Amino acid sequence: MDSQLLYNIVHQEAFGIFIAVYFYLTGLSAGSFILSTLAYGFGMEQYKSLGKVGVILATVLLIIAPLFLLLHIGVPHRAWHLFVYLNFESPITWGSFLLIIYPINCIVYGYFMFKEQKKLTRIFGLIGIPLAVSVHGYTGFILAFGKARALWNTALMPILFLVSAIVSGIALMILVCIVKDRFFSAQKKINYPLLENLGKMLAWVIVFDLFLVGCDILVLLVSHSDAQDVAHLLLSGNFFPLFLIVENLLGKIVPFTLLIVPRFRNLVTMIIASLLVVIGIFVMRYVVVVGGESIPLI
Amino acid sequence: MLIDLRKCIGCNTCAVVCKSENNVPLGVWRNWVKRVEKGTYPHAKEYSLPVVCNNCAKPICVTVCPVKASIQRSDGIVYVDPHRCIGCRYCMAACPYGVRYINPLTKIVEKCFWCHHRVDAGLEPACVLACPTGAILFGDCNDPESEIAKALAENAVQVIKAELGTDPRTYYIGLDQEVIDTKESKKE
Repeated sequence: MDSQLLYNIVHQEAFGIFIAVYFYLTGLSAGSFILSTLAYGFGMEQYKSLGKVGVILATVLLIIAPLFLLLHIGVPHRAWHLFVYLNFESPITWGSFLLIIYPINCIVYGYFMFKEQKKLTRIFGLIGIPLAVSVHGYTGFILAFGKARALWNTALMPILFLVSAIVSGIALMILVCIVKDRFFSAQKKINYPLLENLGKMLAWVIVFDLFLVGCDILVLLVSHSDAQDVAHLLLSGNFFPLFLIVENLLGKIVPFTLLIVPRFRNLVTMIIASLLVVIGIFVMRYVVVVGGESIPLI
Repeated sequence: MLIDLRKCIGCNTCAVVCKSENNVPLGVWRNWVKRVEKGTYPHAKEYSLPVVCNNCAKPICVTVCPVKASIQRSDGIVYVDPHRCIGCRYCMAACPYGVRYINPLTKIVEKCFWCHHRVDAGLEPACVLACPTGAILFGDCNDPESEIAKALAENAVQVIKAELGTDPRTYYIGLDQEVIDTKESKKE
């Protein structure tokens, strides 16, 4: 049946770029934290040099991230309401506590690491892993609870967010390690075998991320009509350049190829691949948040 | 609330009177009349769909509000406490009906709450009173003697997006799924 929309009201978008940036920064923080615990929590000595960089990144990023929430909310001076009027059904309430506990744990963990107290570092590192997973996983729940938006309302959302957090965390770590070794270390020498290990790790986590995105889109394509609309928006609509080209081709497939084919693998391609991944995951956050709410509801 | 679309003439009186009753700023609306044309000339018809908050019995906005600013009263009306809302807009993101907006002046979230200030004073909501054709009925559905309970019992009624399980309580008589689903003009 032909039909014409003559008049309708669509209000301003609910979440926007600030929320996307916030999700991106918590993701980077959680990813960096998990990398820093490889040596100090699980005893993988080859990753020891990531420990201190990781914990500093995790703490700094997680202190910046909530500032974007304050920019987003309409009445920032009422932010204390979040700690007084609690609604334990709301993921944002879970988050307001995680956002306090997690940075404190990061600071304590980092303090013991710099004091070379192995045992305490290990304890706080292991406490930090569930916290890091929750502090980013809960942002997935924020979106998943938006039950009217087909792109968000999936149980895959928290795990998709966690995997992309690890992807972006590893890529950022590669870049930071290169800068640190090149300019701030005593020998000015880059630890290439470590980077190569990180690169391989990154490549395989990218594959898992691609798999999850693929699952999500395939199911959307055969689900109810709003879900099909949003899948077509990503695959052939306004978000097609961002989703297919930037996020998945440039942000995942190209870096994977650069990192996995031995002939391409060197320091320069590793920098390019990591930069592409870091940008690609930011675009992923943007596409999920803004794309998800750009289908009219009524 | 029960809206009889057979009586609705699409005059927008409900939208205008709500603006003046509730001091709704420019650019945002608590209720509005969606208009859709179905078919092509000479077999075409224009449909009106007044959209208001459903004041759902199982409201997702109340579930997700982190500061309990969106609350459900004992009579079922869902409203936003303007002194508590922090403007995080999570309820706007979660609401399946897009009826919430951020007030451009105060930056807090507002929506239709069936004029609870008038209901508390024993009056009808402004849109119900103003509707020139009497298309909107309002009252206590649990009271079998009320006009709305009788109308609900005697007519086939529909709600918008029943499948989402929010248990919406704005009922319609003569609602067409095509009118809900038309989000942009389309030709087939």
